[in-house]
Amino acid sequence: MLKTSATDVIPEKKVEAKQKSKFKLTANDKYYASIFAGPSLFLLGLFVFYPMFRTLYISLFLTNTFGNTTLFVGLENYVKLISSPDFVSSMWVTLVYVVGVTFFTIAMGLLLANLASQKLPGIAIFRTLYSVTMGVSVSVAAIFWLFIFNPSAGFFTLLTKMLNLPTINWLANPTNAMWAIIITTVWMHLGFVFLVFLGAIESVPTTLYEAADVEGVSKHYQFFHITLPMISPTLFFISTITIIGSFKSFGLIDLITKGGPTNATNMLVYRIYNDAFFGGNYAKSSAEAIILTVIIAFFTYLQFKFLEKKVNY
Amino acid sequence: MSKYKKLVLPLILVLAVAVVAVFGKTLSTKSAAVKDNRTEVVFWHEMGGPAEKSLMKIVDGFNKSQTKYRVVPKYQGSYDAAIQKILQTHGTGTSPAVFQAFDISAAQMMHSKFTVPVQDFIDKDGFDASKISPVARSFYSNDGKQQAMPFNTSQPVLYYNASLLEKYGITPPPVSPSYSDITRVAKQLYERSHHQVKGMTVQIYGWLLEQAMANAGVGLTNNNDGHTGIPTKATINNGASKEFFEWIRENQKAGDFMNYGSGAMAGTNQTTGFLNGKIGIYIQSSASISQLNKKNKNKLGITYFPHPDGKKANGVAIGGAALWISNDKSKAVQNGAFEFIKYSLKPEVQAQWQKDTGYLALNKDSQQTSILKGLYKQHPESKVPSQQLQEAVPNHFNSGILMEGMQKTRQIEQFAMESIYNGGDITNALKDADKKIDDNLTTTNRANGYH
Repeated sequence: MLKTSATDVIPEKKVEAKQKSKFKLTANDKYYASIFAGPSLFLLGLFVFYPMFRTLYISLFLTNTFGNTTLFVGLENYVKLISSPDFVSSMWVTLVYVVGVTFFTIAMGLLLANLASQKLPGIAIFRTLYSVTMGVSVSVAAIFWLFIFNPSAGFFTLLTKMLNLPTINWLANPTNAMWAIIITTVWMHLGFVFLVFLGAIESVPTTLYEAADVEGVSKHYQFFHITLPMISPTLFFISTITIIGSFKSFGLIDLITKGGPTNATNMLVYRIYNDAFFGGNYAKSSAEAIILTVIIAFFTYLQFKFLEKKVNY
Repeated sequence: MSKYKKLVLPLILVLAVAVVAVFGKTLSTKSAAVKDNRTEVVFWHEMGGPAEKSLMKIVDGFNKSQTKYRVVPKYQGSYDAAIQKILQTHGTGTSPAVFQAFDISAAQMMHSKFTVPVQDFIDKDGFDASKISPVARSFYSNDGKQQAMPFNTSQPVLYYNASLLEKYGITPPPVSPSYSDITRVAKQLYERSHHQVKGMTVQIYGWLLEQAMANAGVGLTNNNDGHTGIPTKATINNGASKEFFEWIRENQKAGDFMNYGSGAMAGTNQTTGFLNGKIGIYIQSSASISQLNKKNKNKLGITYFPHPDGKKANGVAIGGAALWISNDKSKAVQNGAFEFIKYSLKPEVQAQWQKDTGYLALNKDSQQTSILKGLYKQHPESKVPSQQLQEAVPNHFNSGILMEGMQKTRQIEQFAMESIYNGGDITNALKDADKKIDDNLTTTNRANGYH
C-alpha cells in the first residue's frame, strides 16, 4: 500500500490513501515537503541550530585563551553566574530597562499618534516630524545624544545652567545613565511605533466616534473605550516587538555607556558580547546566552498566554 | 508580468558590474603582486585616523627602500577585536606575518606560542637594541628575551591649561608633581574662577589606576606583576591605590573635580571640556599631544604623571602596542617582517612618527634629529613625555602587568573606580576588585592548565 517512490504513484490510489487517513503523508507529499522546507531547514540548521547547540555545549566547559573547550565542569558556569551578585544585578537592570522602554515607548507613541490623528490644517508636518527617527541609524543617534549629554558643553547642561538649576551628570551617575539610555532608546523606537499606532487609529471606523458624540461621551472616555480596544491587536504586536527588541538592545549601550557606570546599564546582551570578545571567556558568555534565551522564551510565552486572550480581533 | 520584465535587464547589469568589480579587484591585486618577485609580508595593524596615515608613510618608505620584501598593511579595527582575530586565524592562509598587538595582550601572546621571539632575530642580525628605550623594551620581554618589539609607545602624562593658570595668576605645577601639587592648582583654579572652571578630572580608566600603582612602585598582582611567574592573586587593595583615590576624593569634596565617567565617551567629553576651558587639568596618553596642539586656542602645559606625596616617582609603564612576528610563515617572510621592524625603529622614522602622532620616539638618536628639534622649538612642552620615558629605570612594577585576562581586569578596575567616584567606600571597592580578579585568574589558570 505504501509507496516508496514518487514516480510510480497512480493518481487513483493516491486519493484512496488520502481518504483512509487524512493526515498521513504520502511519499509524494514528503518529496515536496523536503523540497520546500529543505533549503530553509538547512540554513536554519547551519546558522541557528548548530550555533545554539554549540553554545549549550561550550557552556558546560571552561575555555582557554584560544576559546577551545578544555575542562568539563558541568553546570559550574551556571551556578557561578546565578550566585554572582554582578550577574543578578545585570538581570535586574535589563528588566528595569525593558519595562521602562516598553512603557514609555507605548505611552509616548499612543499620545503622539492620537494627537497626530486630529484633523487639523498642517498636521502632516507633525506626522512627518514624529516619524522622522525611523530614518536615523543607531550610531548617528548615539553620537547625537552624546553631544546632548556632554557634562561640560552639552545641550542639557547649558539649558540647566541657563535656568540656574543644578546640572545633572547624565552618564557618569548610575541612576541617570539608566535614564539616559532609556530616553535614547525610546526616542529611537518612537518613530516606528508612532507610525504603526497612527495607522491603527486611522483605521478605526468613524461611525463609532460619531455614535459616541451623539451620546455625549467625553473624548477621554472615547479614547479608553473605543480607540484602545479597537487597536488592541496593534498594541499587542507593538508590545511584543518592543519587549523582545529592548532585550536585544546593543548598539546604543555600546556607543553611549559601554555598560557602565558600575554596571548600571550592563544589560544581558551587552554582557554576553563583553565576556566573549573582551574577556575572552567564551564558556561564561555561552552560559549567559543560554540564560537569556530561557528568559526571552518565558516572556514570549507569557505574552501569548495572557495578553493575546485580551486582544479584540 | 511585464512590470517585472523591465527589471530583469537592470538587475543583470548590476550583477555584472558587481562581479567584474569583485573579480577585477582580486585579479589586479594578484597581478600587482606577481609583477616583481618580492616576498609579501602581511602586516596587521589597528591604527586609525591620523596615526594610520602616518603609519602608511612608514610602510611606503619601507617598500620603496626595498627590493626583496613588500609589506602589505591591513587595518583590523580596534585593539580588543584584533586580539581575537589574531588568535583565531593563526595557521590559516589569512593570518598575518607581523602584527600589532596592544600592551595588555602581551601575556596572552607569549603564552599562545604563536610567535617567534624578536630576540632570535636580534641575535642573528646583530641589531643593536640598546638604542631603544629600556622601559619600553622591558615591557615586552620575558626571561631576558625580547618577545616583541615596542612600536607605538605612549606614556600617561598630565595636561594643564597654561593660559587659564596665567589668567588667574596661579603658579604652574612642577614637572614631576606630587598629588598635593595638583590639588593646590585645581583648587585655586576652581576658587579664583568663581567656580566657572572645574579644576581637574581623572578619567575612569583602569590604565590610569595601574599607572598610579606603577608610579608608587607597587604591583597589581603577586609574582611581581607576573614577571617572575604566572599571577595567582590580585593586590589592588594596597596603600598606593588608596592614596590615589583619597587624592581624588579630596578634590571631589572640594568641588573642583569633574567626573566624566568612563569609556571613549568620557575621553571625548573631557578633551572637549579641556579645549573649551571648562576644566583645567586632566591625565591622558601622550598620544593626544598632536591633537591637542592642533585644536587648542590655549597654551598647553604638560607634566609627568603625579606621584604620592613624600615619595620619588618610580616611573610609569608604557602604553600603546608592539610588533610581533608570527611563527606560521616561512623563514623568508619572517626575516622580511624583522626587516620591517628594524626600519620602523630608525631614528628619522621614529622622530617623524612622534611628530605626526604624539607616540614617543623609541630610538635614543631620534632626539638629535632635526625633525624633533624643530618640534620642541615650536612646542617646548612636547619634550616632557619623552623625558619621563627616558628617566624611568625599568623594574617589575613599571614594566606592565604580564597577566592573561587583562581586558577583563580593566573592566573590574573600572567598576571599582566608578563605585568610588560615586561615593562608595574605597577599601570595600578595592577588596571587591581583588576578589573578582582572583576569581577570573582561578578560572583562566584552570582552563589553560597553569598550576
